[in-house]
Amino acid sequence: MAKASRNGAGIGRLVGEHGTGLFLSILFLAPIAWTILSTFKPPLEARQPPIPPWPTTGFSIQNYITLDSFGAGLWHSAQNSIFVAVSSVVLTVVISLLAGYGFSRFRFPFKNLFFVLILSTIMIPFQSILTPIFLILSWLGLQNTLSGLVLVYVTLQLPFSIFMMRNAFDAVPKEIEEAARIDGASSFALLTKVMLPLVWPGVVTVALFAFLNTWNEFLAALVLMTDQAKFTLPIMMTAVQSGRFGAIDWGAVQAGVTVMMIPCLILFLLLQRFYIRGLTAGAVK
Amino acid sequence: MSSITAKAGVVTPAAPARRRSKIDRGHWVGLLYIAPAIVLVTVFFVIPLGMTVWMSLHNWPLMGQHRFIGLDNYIAITKDVRFWNALKFTLYYTVIVTIAIFAVAFPLALFVEKPRPMTGVYRTAFFMPVVVGFASASLLWAWLLNVDSGLFSPAAQQLGLTEKKFNLLATFNPAFWSIIVMVVWKVAGFTMIILMTGLQSIPTELQEAAKIDGANAWQRFRQITLPLMRRTLALALILSVAGSILAFDQFYILLRGGPRNSTITAVYWIFNQSFVSFKLGYGAALSMVLLVILVTLSLIQLRLLRNPEGT
Amino acid sequence: MKKLTSLLAATAALVSMTTLASAAETANIWVRADGSNFMPQIVEAFNKSHENQIKLDIIPNAELVQKYATSAAGGSAPDGLSLDLIYTPAFAAAGQLEDITDWAKSLPYFKDLSPAHVTTGTYKDRIYGLPFSADSSVLIWNKKLFKEAGLDPEKGPTNWAEIEAAAEKVNALGGDIRGFYFSGACPGCNIFTFTPLVWASGGNVLSEDGTKATLNDPKLREAIDFYRDMVAKGLVPEGAQTDSGANFFAAFAGGKIGIAPSGAFAIGALNTQYKDIDYGVTFLPGKDGGWSSFAGGDNFVVTKGTPKLAVLKEFLDFAYSLEGQTLLASRGSLPVRGDIAKEALKDLDPRYQIAAEAMAKGRTPYSVVFNDIINSANGPWAQLVSEAFYGDDVDGAIANAQETMQSIIDAGTGQ
Repeated sequence: MAKASRNGAGIGRLVGEHGTGLFLSILFLAPIAWTILSTFKPPLEARQPPIPPWPTTGFSIQNYITLDSFGAGLWHSAQNSIFVAVSSVVLTVVISLLAGYGFSRFRFPFKNLFFVLILSTIMIPFQSILTPIFLILSWLGLQNTLSGLVLVYVTLQLPFSIFMMRNAFDAVPKEIEEAARIDGASSFALLTKVMLPLVWPGVVTVALFAFLNTWNEFLAALVLMTDQAKFTLPIMMTAVQSGRFGAIDWGAVQAGVTVMMIPCLILFLLLQRFYIRGLTAGAVK
Repeated sequence: MSSITAKAGVVTPAAPARRRSKIDRGHWVGLLYIAPAIVLVTVFFVIPLGMTVWMSLHNWPLMGQHRFIGLDNYIAITKDVRFWNALKFTLYYTVIVTIAIFAVAFPLALFVEKPRPMTGVYRTAFFMPVVVGFASASLLWAWLLNVDSGLFSPAAQQLGLTEKKFNLLATFNPAFWSIIVMVVWKVAGFTMIILMTGLQSIPTELQEAAKIDGANAWQRFRQITLPLMRRTLALALILSVAGSILAFDQFYILLRGGPRNSTITAVYWIFNQSFVSFKLGYGAALSMVLLVILVTLSLIQLRLLRNPEGT
Repeated sequence: MKKLTSLLAATAALVSMTTLASAAETANIWVRADGSNFMPQIVEAFNKSHENQIKLDIIPNAELVQKYATSAAGGSAPDGLSLDLIYTPAFAAAGQLEDITDWAKSLPYFKDLSPAHVTTGTYKDRIYGLPFSADSSVLIWNKKLFKEAGLDPEKGPTNWAEIEAAAEKVNALGGDIRGFYFSGACPGCNIFTFTPLVWASGGNVLSEDGTKATLNDPKLREAIDFYRDMVAKGLVPEGAQTDSGANFFAAFAGGKIGIAPSGAFAIGALNTQYKDIDYGVTFLPGKDGGWSSFAGGDNFVVTKGTPKLAVLKEFLDFAYSLEGQTLLASRGSLPVRGDIAKEALKDLDPRYQIAAEAMAKGRTPYSVVFNDIINSANGPWAQLVSEAFYGDDVDGAIANAQETMQSIIDAGTGQ
């Protein structure tokens, strides 16, 4: 009897908890779902309030076709974005892996100063150093090139990435590499052969963050790129968003938002296991 | 109770002691590893920052000749009412949004921290908005909040909550709270994960011991959870505060600083001065002032992060 | 070493040969996104018929000035630029532009070029910009809704009272249909469509030379009351209050607005994209009749010291030809050559004639700080527009905006 009532309470609690969980999940996911669904409305319907969110007057991909008519076209901008995001991810990972290892395992002059210097990058309203960055890029002959943009993006990613990687390395017990060192491995070999597999979640986290941020960044891209052929997706979106002749096309805007979101969502879902573990390892320390 | 806290100090998995092992060989190997990062940060951060300082001492129009004017820009800032108003608004926003984020993220963290079926799904769902970029999120909400083609106003009207369409972005309070809701939706998941990792690092034995001692849930939360999460809280706080003080995208895209210029943030004002009024020198000086404020605030918060024993 | 020198020599020879072989040059020009309806077409036509080529980049409206200035500082500015005419004085004052006075005056049709453009293109008696595209503000009305409301669909309103009366009748149709539309949070839209109402009534917002703000003009106050009245009567959709221009044209194109102040561009856009809307075009009237218009559009300016000046001249010559003017007009940009305007428009929608006439007599405020005082979304004009149309304290808003605007002008010209 007593057992049964406890079970009843347990079930009640279970239902309550999952009810809350489901409700909250729907709340968090609804705006995303609403947007994606409504992009398939025909343009005329897309101008009406999205109630219900799915198309009611026929399925249409006209919004995506309209989106493609802006600037150099959807695929072209997407290619630029992919190039920029992927290069930034690779560079960010390599540089922060090295630096994280350096900060975690070595002693050298001004170590703390360098660390604080890198971290302080997040304190600056980045809008205010854009013009000097533009000038520096032109001195380097990199103005209006996607590679120049990549370098800027990587710099912006460094504080978070290096912080994460240093903590990831800190969490690895020193005994492991000491054993390997006795076997005569160099520090670089240690890093690539022994340490890398151990900090893998951190690497994935850094890579995913770098991708999300560079894929979505618009202000630097807008100011630094002048050649239409080199515009990235977010620059194209500013054109879509300001509309043509005072006519914002909400259908096209939502199509653009969807195109911007989908790769991020897919990557996150694929990598989330690592991602949350990496954040866990990196953030608590 | 004091015995519990004392025990906590012992049980806390001490951050890996930074003992200096024999690994350090030459001084220079370490420098070699961080060299690429230092080069990039120097070229694209330190030098531009230096140039910004230099520009802040000039009358520097976007086009044409610039002229050295010493500290005149800084003197002008002291009289720039709109900048101080923007700063006031930024601080107001930072306080409100930080409270709102924690008020949502903490319960969520407690909710997803317990291992049970479906927890992974909930976690993923709450985290999803985080991976959407700020600009995309702003555009998405700009649409949802739009009075004619959006969701909320027409829905409220169809449900009979309002008599006619209510323009959410037309007056300060609805517009401001709309932004808060959007930002919480967008970043609560991130704060939740950070807080969750903090919660998970608290040994369960400690909670059990307190339970046996007869401490109720609230006491356990106050006496064990909060003190042990201090560093995690400080980290989440710093990230939230720095992000909010530099807020720009959402106000620019959603509100254009309106209604009636009441939602202009500090960075928005800097952006306006630099790229709308083309006073780069003045914009640079404003950035310096903001930088000093932000560094000060972060130092205060870093104190919290550095001092876990000061309970 | 010898090998290297010979290699160098060979390359040099190759380079010189290629330059000789193709004397054709390519000049780079920019246009703001608003020009994307006509610029690509005229560039394409030019490139087809000429050896020299133009490479066109379309830049988002709001970023054009900033991007141009940063790239000029970095040495990568385009050779030429189709620039919103109101910015020409500021650009010329900053020393970014090539003085093209001599060439401009040598054009046989110089005196027939749009006076609004040439005035704003002139700085300290030298010419830095020549007209390229043109757009004038006009009033448009929905004939179908007029008919349904029992109004004469062929007759547009000729004064404020008629606008309000017609808007009320259309509004009475009910449902989603509203009488009037304006973008309540868009300073650029309102300088374009609202100030002509003031001008036509004999008032102004800025002195002719741009040195004095005149927002305390009683005629401005009357025009504000006219708009407030329509807002109070519910003739304007709720969304108008926060429309920062995104819906400036779309609202009318949706077919549910009776009357809207708009621009000549709307004729082109309605004819090509919204063929089902039956609309009329008339002048923006004064309180008791009369009319005025904002003469807007782009000036073509040349970056100081560009080596491609000859190509740009060739391009402008082409744009000024009858062929060029007709092509531009067919895409929604009014002719800028008064002498051949009729001919360029003769096969086009007759409603363009109204817009062209408005253009010829249109006015353009002149100021080196136009962006700051008028166009900025957070400037005094923007503040005045939103507070005066929707706020509670009109007089306070006016006084405040007048003071801010004057102080910006004083600071700007003092430099």
